[in-house]
Amino acid sequence: MKVVVDGVTLDLPPGTSAIDAVFAAGSDVPYFCSQPYMSPIGACRMCLAKVGAPRKDRDGSWILDEETGEPKIFWFPNLMATCTTAVMDGMVVDTRSEPVKAAQNGMVEFTLINHPLDCPVCDKGGACELQDRAYEYGEGVSRFVFDKRHQEKHHALSDLITLDRERCIHCKRCVRYFEEVPGDEVLDFIERGGHTYIGTLEEGLPSNFTGNITDICPVGALLDATSRFRGRNWEYHHTETTSLDDASGSAIVVDGRTGRIERIKAGHHPEINKTWIDDGTRFGHEYADAPDRVRRPLVRHDGRLVETDWADAMDYVAARLTEVNGRDVGIAIRADATLEEGVAARALADHIGTGQLDHAPRPAGGVIAAGGQARLEELAVAGAILVVGDVTEEVPIVDLRIKDALRGVTPPSLFDHGAPIADLRLKERAPRHAEILTVAAPLRVDLMRHAGRAAQYPAGGERAFFHALTALAEGETPADGDLGMPLEAATAAVDGLRKAETAVVVLGGWVLASLQATEAALHFCRAVGAKPMLLGPMANSYGLELVGVAPSHARYAYGGMLTGAKALILSQLDPAIDPAVAERLDKLELLVVHASFLTATAKLADVVLPAAIGYEKDGTVVNLEGRMLPVRAAPVDAGESRDLTGFVKAFGEAAGQRLEGRSVKSARRWLKKGLGVDLDALPEHGGWAPAKRGPARVAVAVHEAPAHGGALRVPTMVRAEVLDRNPHLRAATGGLALGLHPDDAAALKLRSGDEVTVPVAGVPRRLVVRPSEAVPAGLATVPATPDEPVGLVPIDLKQIALERRALEVA
Amino acid sequence: MSTVADKPAAITSRFDPRYEITLYRHVGVDGAHTLEHYRARGGYRAAEKALTEMTPTQVIDEVKASGLRGRGGAGFPAGLKWSFMPPIDGRQRFIVCNADESEPGSFKDRYLMEDDPHQLIEGMLIAGWAIQATIGVLYVRGEYYVAYERMRDAIAEARAAGLLGRGVFATEPDGEGDEATPASPGFDFDIILHRGAGAYICGEETALMNSFEGLRANPRLKPPFPAQAGVYGLPTTINNVESFCSVVHIVERGGAWYASMGTDDSKGTKLYQLSGPVARPGVYEMPMGATFRELIYDLGGGPTEPAKALIPGGSSTPLLPWSDETLDLPMDYGTMARVGSMLGTGGVIVIPESQCMVDAMANVVRFYAHESCGKCTPCREGVATWLPKMYQKLLAGLGTRDDLTLMEEMVRNLRGTAFCPLADACAMPVAASFQHFRNEYEHLVDHGAPKYPTVSRWAE
Repeated sequence: MKVVVDGVTLDLPPGTSAIDAVFAAGSDVPYFCSQPYMSPIGACRMCLAKVGAPRKDRDGSWILDEETGEPKIFWFPNLMATCTTAVMDGMVVDTRSEPVKAAQNGMVEFTLINHPLDCPVCDKGGACELQDRAYEYGEGVSRFVFDKRHQEKHHALSDLITLDRERCIHCKRCVRYFEEVPGDEVLDFIERGGHTYIGTLEEGLPSNFTGNITDICPVGALLDATSRFRGRNWEYHHTETTSLDDASGSAIVVDGRTGRIERIKAGHHPEINKTWIDDGTRFGHEYADAPDRVRRPLVRHDGRLVETDWADAMDYVAARLTEVNGRDVGIAIRADATLEEGVAARALADHIGTGQLDHAPRPAGGVIAAGGQARLEELAVAGAILVVGDVTEEVPIVDLRIKDALRGVTPPSLFDHGAPIADLRLKERAPRHAEILTVAAPLRVDLMRHAGRAAQYPAGGERAFFHALTALAEGETPADGDLGMPLEAATAAVDGLRKAETAVVVLGGWVLASLQATEAALHFCRAVGAKPMLLGPMANSYGLELVGVAPSHARYAYGGMLTGAKALILSQLDPAIDPAVAERLDKLELLVVHASFLTATAKLADVVLPAAIGYEKDGTVVNLEGRMLPVRAAPVDAGESRDLTGFVKAFGEAAGQRLEGRSVKSARRWLKKGLGVDLDALPEHGGWAPAKRGPARVAVAVHEAPAHGGALRVPTMVRAEVLDRNPHLRAATGGLALGLHPDDAAALKLRSGDEVTVPVAGVPRRLVVRPSEAVPAGLATVPATPDEPVGLVPIDLKQIALERRALEVA
Repeated sequence: MSTVADKPAAITSRFDPRYEITLYRHVGVDGAHTLEHYRARGGYRAAEKALTEMTPTQVIDEVKASGLRGRGGAGFPAGLKWSFMPPIDGRQRFIVCNADESEPGSFKDRYLMEDDPHQLIEGMLIAGWAIQATIGVLYVRGEYYVAYERMRDAIAEARAAGLLGRGVFATEPDGEGDEATPASPGFDFDIILHRGAGAYICGEETALMNSFEGLRANPRLKPPFPAQAGVYGLPTTINNVESFCSVVHIVERGGAWYASMGTDDSKGTKLYQLSGPVARPGVYEMPMGATFRELIYDLGGGPTEPAKALIPGGSSTPLLPWSDETLDLPMDYGTMARVGSMLGTGGVIVIPESQCMVDAMANVVRFYAHESCGKCTPCREGVATWLPKMYQKLLAGLGTRDDLTLMEEMVRNLRGTAFCPLADACAMPVAASFQHFRNEYEHLVDHGAPKYPTVSRWAE
């Protein structure tokens, strides 16, 4: 459609909003209430412009202007809010004439009369939409001589978000966000007129996606509690990178100041997380600066770990390794190591000459489905979705993209100015197509609230569940009880998957934990023509499997090397939380630990080398879709911490060798040669990983013991292993939870909030009791960590020890 | 544009022989709210005619032919609005009655509901048939408790009598051979009665729907209009109480009869409400186009004290100065628009000479400030915050001439910039008061005291 904005002629698709036409033309109107990926509502009235359009006569021809002979422009009687006006063929928009300026000026004046204008002490100052717009469009002087509205300041909406009600300009972005994006209606306007304010019920903000409102708040009303009063916006160094918090590969911006990470904001990746991240990703950065951070290499002398430097420590490691047969050395790295670190680990193993190489956690079923897997963009438009697992905790962005599918609006096409500012297809309180979603899990999970069908199968019953579904798909009658839902519901789910143009089956960690369950699931996907989406346990599970950071034999896998190896090099793993493992580690000939914190394992080590965490390294990760994404180091003071490429470089120098993977650059040369990918030329939004896997090594399944026991290790959005080092998240979550059915808790005489220690699969876990109807009777849930992956494990509830009673409120 | 002067033949007087009281026939009669009373006087005959003898399209055509314009204030042609409903596609359709009569100066719907509830039910039944909506929603202003009770009881009576519910006016097959009339399943129609909670904004149709759905009463974005996405996002038509009641008589007596009354652009009869210092304030049914003089002097008995202005259609319509020319203006949509005001709900308020205009406007502004929903910036900050504070300042004797300029500018900024008409409803009368009575504002700021004593209305 032909649209003229301030004299610039554009050709735009129908349905475009006038505000996007204005920005596409390079003109500008201010706006506060519109927000990309959310419905336009026309509430702030800032984007007013003079709008006109030609009209057609009854015979269908344009009514012509008698003077010019051109179609006559009929101006709308009032100025129009461009965010809620759709373009029409021949529309003319004028953003620069006097009445428009006067109206914009008047709106700025109105907006500011009750705003405290406390920019000098406001955390948003310097990055505030209101501040910018007031400068650009305001008069600079207020004629409002009365007292401003006084409302609550420093109101803790939750442990993570602080609200200043005086600064609020009532744009409704936050209220709409909760209804439209995660579908958790936890915030609303209260009161009316000039007294309107936003607020919650007593329970705070029960949602996994609350922090995004601090990004979209156009003023300093909603602030990230972890970063409040930590710095001014112009002092921050912004690093656009990829989150290593989960397998989604969400774009984030790390804001650092004087060598410290102060906050994390959502980046924009239109095909992954759009502009949203979960709270674990956003607020879970404080551990980077935890007091027990290891900042210098440590070497054990006379039984004590003594600080030294990398060269010294590596000389010691290289010397001690010569005493051990190379084949007896085990190397294990955590599954959020970058591709480049994976190359470094392989090079190290090759140099030492060991087949004992692995990454952990590595699910038995693998994370790469042969024959391709679904992309997030496909999930977001899928006509039928089956989820097995708790995606809201496991990879929360997947939860949000499923909710996109429920809304049934295809992702927008981008303009030069980015995602549409006002996508007129999006509506407040749009109906959701719950019927396309089936969610199955051994316990009640949050996504079931949004699902048309929910199934609760017995814990550990993933394989049987998929066998039963496959039987249904093949016209047979499945065994009773395996489905966890009525037969009709399961039939409808299977039919939906079969008939949908795009059908996606999301496989969570409980499925992937078992090779047999994974195979059953993939078989089912083929039977109904659905694409699988495998949720890898960590940020680079996909990439490390691709590169082949894997043992040469099943018995050399991580679990095996903990018992079989004579010397171990462990990166970011902490197996010593299991006392039995700790005992064995203590007897090793050499234990080298590359860790960021003085963990239980590090305390046993002969050498501890400081490890860079996700915000501190450069590299590449492959997300659960198979998309290679850049990881960039923020300028952070992490002492002498290095990533694995730095580890290998130092080791090579000590051993007199130039190892492959001794730097990011060197690792990338190997990747170019081995996988055929040029990571130096990676596009801004990443590129697809090759289908081909790394040479030589073949991923071998770990030995699969039949799952049994009374505890289900569950994924958590907040990383359980560092929760205690994340004070804000710890306060918000109340600590790591032991989920019990209320009857079971009552039988154990435990109340909500009691702190207990209980052995789970041999590991004593300190947990906070959280009775919940969501947990089936007879089952306990405990959070998974990289060393305690998701799945069913034994728990000894008889040995539960009460550490601290919850305070009783009278 | 039609006026009394150039159209002497037009029926404009209540005393015209062709005119009779229709809408308010039962109002003020003891026991008129019962079904027995209503049926005894021909009640539900129109509905029976519509449902058994007319197709929905015929009903809509009849309403179109009558020229009935919505009586809620905006005056949108009712038949045209009904024809906007999408084709029947199996989705639930709603007919909504806006009985949230909250405009200061308006009190016509109240008596329609209190004394003649069945007329409204019949009107909704006919409208439901016309747009093929099987659910009627009657949203009654929360403060109208008697009206609510009467409507509640009347709906129960109508249900018991089979006039609401399944198969309204269902018929058995009758006669034989060529004369036979087949059985008719009748029309399924019921009314949900909903009480508001005291918010003026709920008179705005989309805010009303939000409120009915249990949501915050904010107006919704239009388009989509209610016909596309109304109650629960489903096709909906919404009209005012008086509009529904008028439909009963249009169906009963024909659109042509209705169109024979009134002026060129405003047909039929209208309930005018008269308040202020007049001898007989009240609701008067008159043909469209009757003059203010007829209403105020012939029916209302004239002002009891010297008047200086009148508000023609409820507090949101710009006032007109009191003059012979004004009094001889016909009260119809076109004429009111021509003189820069609006017919609105037809709530005429006489403002006496002794009333300080600034104080009167402060009262109006105070009302809109209290009722602003807070959704959009100009209304929340201008109407609800700044403007009432300016009036406070003026009335405290602290105003300056600059303040008057500021207020005029502010009102200009409010006009046509807000999300819904509430801000306009506040800005328009204020602008008119500045246009006609700026001298009173100037006197106040120059002397620090109003020209006329202000009257305290609220206990401190």
